[in-house]
This record gives sequence, structure tokens and C-alpha cells, in this order.
Amino acid sequence: MQRPLTQLLAPRPLLFLLLSMQLFLGCDSKGKTSSAKPRVAVIISTLNNPWFVVLADSSKQRAIELGYDVVVFDSQNDPAKEAAHFDNVISSGFKAVLFNPTDADGSVANVRRAKIADIPVFCMDREINANDAAISQVLSDNYSGCVALGQHFVKEVGESGKYAELLGLVGDNNTWNRSKGFHSVVDRYPELKMVAQQSADFDRAKGMEVLEAILQANPDINAVFCGNDAMAMGAYQALVASGKEKQVKVFGFDGADDVVRSIAEGKIVATGMQFPKVMATTAAESAHKYLQGEREFSQKTPVAVELVHQGNVGKYGDYGKKEAN
Amino acid sequence: MLPLRRWRIGIAAAAGLAFLFYFFPLFHIVPLKTVQQQTSQSLFDPVAFVDRFWNDQLIPAADRAVSASEVVEWIRSDPKGVRVKYGRQVGLGSSYYLFVSGRGRVDSSDKSSLEISLNDGSEPAKIRIITGNIFGNAVRDGTGLIDINDIPNSQDFNAVSSEINHRIEQNVLPPLRQKELIGKAIRFVGCAEIVDENTDLQPLRLVPIIVEVGPP
Repeated sequence: MQRPLTQLLAPRPLLFLLLSMQLFLGCDSKGKTSSAKPRVAVIISTLNNPWFVVLADSSKQRAIELGYDVVVFDSQNDPAKEAAHFDNVISSGFKAVLFNPTDADGSVANVRRAKIADIPVFCMDREINANDAAISQVLSDNYSGCVALGQHFVKEVGESGKYAELLGLVGDNNTWNRSKGFHSVVDRYPELKMVAQQSADFDRAKGMEVLEAILQANPDINAVFCGNDAMAMGAYQALVASGKEKQVKVFGFDGADDVVRSIAEGKIVATGMQFPKVMATTAAESAHKYLQGEREFSQKTPVAVELVHQGNVGKYGDYGKKEAN
Repeated sequence: MLPLRRWRIGIAAAAGLAFLFYFFPLFHIVPLKTVQQQTSQSLFDPVAFVDRFWNDQLIPAADRAVSASEVVEWIRSDPKGVRVKYGRQVGLGSSYYLFVSGRGRVDSSDKSSLEISLNDGSEPAKIRIITGNIFGNAVRDGTGLIDINDIPNSQDFNAVSSEINHRIEQNVLPPLRQKELIGKAIRFVGCAEIVDENTDLQPLRLVPIIVEVGPP
């Protein structure tokens, strides 16, 4: 998969500075490039996760189709980098921002700064805790998705047993909406005991490390619920390394392609299919409509999450539902 | 002599650093529960919200529920058309909700639902009323009375759902969990969530909001 240029440059401050200067010099005071196309920024929380790469690439592709030049910025899950990207976007005259925040509270200030600079912001997938800053927010219905996952968890694991939970970024609303949706179901079964709950920051490598540590203290767990698919894949790697992949049932959330394949192969039990392409294209189209003069937008639009398990996995793939493609 | 002096300097430096880090630690270890509480900390009170919602909006809205018999007849003739005719969709996706009411007779029961034969339509029809644990957003989203944009934080919005479900389990379900309901007359108002039309339409599974059970 081709990686956006900014992702490759982001760890190199000097090159990043040069890129920023190039962006600045490459546009006039009205924010137009030499090709006279208006520019849209896509600011993504992290590109170190294939799911977010799909979100970024889909929004970029749709914005290009709608006639914009697009630059993708990788915040690397770092609010400070995200703030720097907004500085860059505001000073460089971008016309709109398609935004995937790093922090529900911390990112609000960045969106407000863009609003003051008259740059509309359209949130994708992740929420900010304000209804008066972004033009619109297209969000996965994480809670409902994890209610369905929780019910499937009880069906597969049973009404008794021990399990661990890997949380995502603790400052992100999605983390807690997923956890609360899941617990709204499993906590009703007192014989299902959660023996460990730790954050692995939505990261595959951390997911593996954290579950390895959990397994040392709790070698007899029956299942692990992961707040995203990257952590689920990391958790599965840890289970394979310890020879427990048959004993411990793994549940993820996202609908990433590698996890959908793993469900088909019987390695992972279930995930919640979010629809990153739907969210990305909806955000890009909303930005286009806004720039064309439309002003009536629903602040928040939830996107339903669908349960993917071994009984229906054939219907899903390529970050969506096959029959819908 | 020199090593002793070095030891003293080392100990003094270590003590100084310990003093410094005690009062100005480089990081804090915070329990996840605390972070969760901070993340969801708001002035929003879901219990008070649902108190008002239940009495001022939900119960008066029961008259707006469509006839369950009518919906079931439509399901028989045009299942794909139910969404357009009676469904309420929230956001983007394939799932939708139904807000229905009706009268019937309790035919049978299991540990999590009652089977009801409807007797207020032209054709015999059956639905199920959930009597076990209530999960999901059927009532919050199925009635169309609460908009996601009314509440700034999705965690609070979801807390509303959780509180509604709790209230149903506490206040609505107990009469339905009694034994010897078979054959009794029942009037109900409730919501159903349709995720998969192949499995969720026949029979409809309602989360009850109002239930009255009477003699046969």
C-alpha cells in the first residue's frame, strides 16, 4: 500500500519543516496552489494502523475526485503534533480539514482555532467533546457495536469464565464507548470475571506486550476483548507465542482486513465492522457541500457497526460489506 | 579517603534526586477507573434526564406507536418495504427501529421472552416481548424522541440508553416475569431493533415500554 508522503517524513523534523515551507510557498494568500485547485487537509490520528490508512486514503481519494488538492498529515497519536498540523493548515490557507482527532477533549482547541480562521473542520470516526466547533462529525456507533460484540462474547465464551480487556487510548471517547458497550452486557453475568484491564493504545505491538504480561499473571483466561483489531492481532500473536491460541478466544473491533481473514480462518472469534470508507467519503462530500455554500449539517451522524463472526464473515471484506460494494 | 568522599557525594545526589522526584514526579500512575471518570466527567445526569424523558415524552408518545398487527401484515407481504413504511433509521447503516403497540394473548414464555398472539388485526400474528436483560438502544433510538445532537458527549448519550434499559428492567419487566401468564390478555407498547431483516422481522422482538396484563 502506498504510504502518504507526510507519513514518511513525519519522523524527520528537518524534512517536515521543508515540506511545511514548500506547502506555504506553494500557495498564494487565498490558499490556492499553482494548479489553482483549493486544498483540503486530511489530519489523521495515526497512520501506524491499516484501518486509519484506509480512512485517510478514502477521504483523500474522494476529495481529489471532487476537485481538490489533498495533503495528508499524520498526528502519530500525539496531540502536540496534531496542534502543529493545525498551525500549518491555518497558516497555509487550506480550505477545509477532514479530521480524525487524537483526543476528544484536547482536540477541541485545534478545531476552534481552525473555526476562528474560517476553515471548516469535518470530524471522521473519532469525536470531539463539543457540538459547536466542527461543522459535522461522522462517527462509528461504537457503543452499539460493542453491545452486539458483548452479546456474541457471552454466546461464545459462556456465562462463566475469566477474561482480559485491552483498552485503546484512554483519552479517546471511542475507547470508553466500546468498553462501556461491552460491559453493559458482560457485567450482567457475574460468573464472567475480568481479571485484567489494561491500555495498549490501539497499537498492535503494545497489544502483544500487554497480553504477554497478562498471561504471566493469569495463564487460565478464556478470552480477551480488544478495543480494536490491531490490538486483537497483537493479542493473537502473544497467544500463539505462548501456545494458548486454542484456549483463549480473541475479540476485536474495527473490521480490519487481516482480522476478517483471521475470523474466516477460525483464529479470531469476532469483530465489529466499522465502515471507514463510508465515514471518509461522507466527510469529504460534506466538506465539498460546505465549500459550495450549503450550511445545513447534522452535527453528529452515527454510522452503524455490524457484528462480524464466523457465521457471516463471508459477507464482509475490504473494510466494508461486500454486497454494498 | 577518596572513595568515601565519592560515596558521600553519590548518596547526597541520590537523596537530592529522591527529594526532587518525590515533590516533582516525572510521571503519575493513575488508575484506569480514574481516567475513565475524568474522561466521562460532565454535568450531565442520565438519571434525571431519563426521569424527565420517561414522564414528559416517552409515555405521552405511546399514541404515536404504529399497530403491531399492521406491521406484521406488512412484513408478510413486503418485508423489504417495512423499513421505508414504518422504520426509523439513525445515522448511516442498514439497521433500523420500529415503534409499535398492540393487544393480544400470552401464548408461551421462556426465560427471556413471552410469545404473544396478536388479536387486534385481521390476520393471526405473533410477536415476542423481551423479558430478560435489556441491551442496546431500541427505546432511545426507536421512538425518535431523543436526537444524538441533543447531548454533546456520546458517552452521555449512551448513558441515557443504559439508564432507559435499567428503568425498563426495574419498572416494566417484573409483571412479565411472573409465572402463570399463559392465556392472559396483554396490551403493550415497545420498540424493536432490526439489524438483520432475515432474522429480526419474524418474529419481532420488542423491548417493552408499557405493558398491561389482564384476565383472559
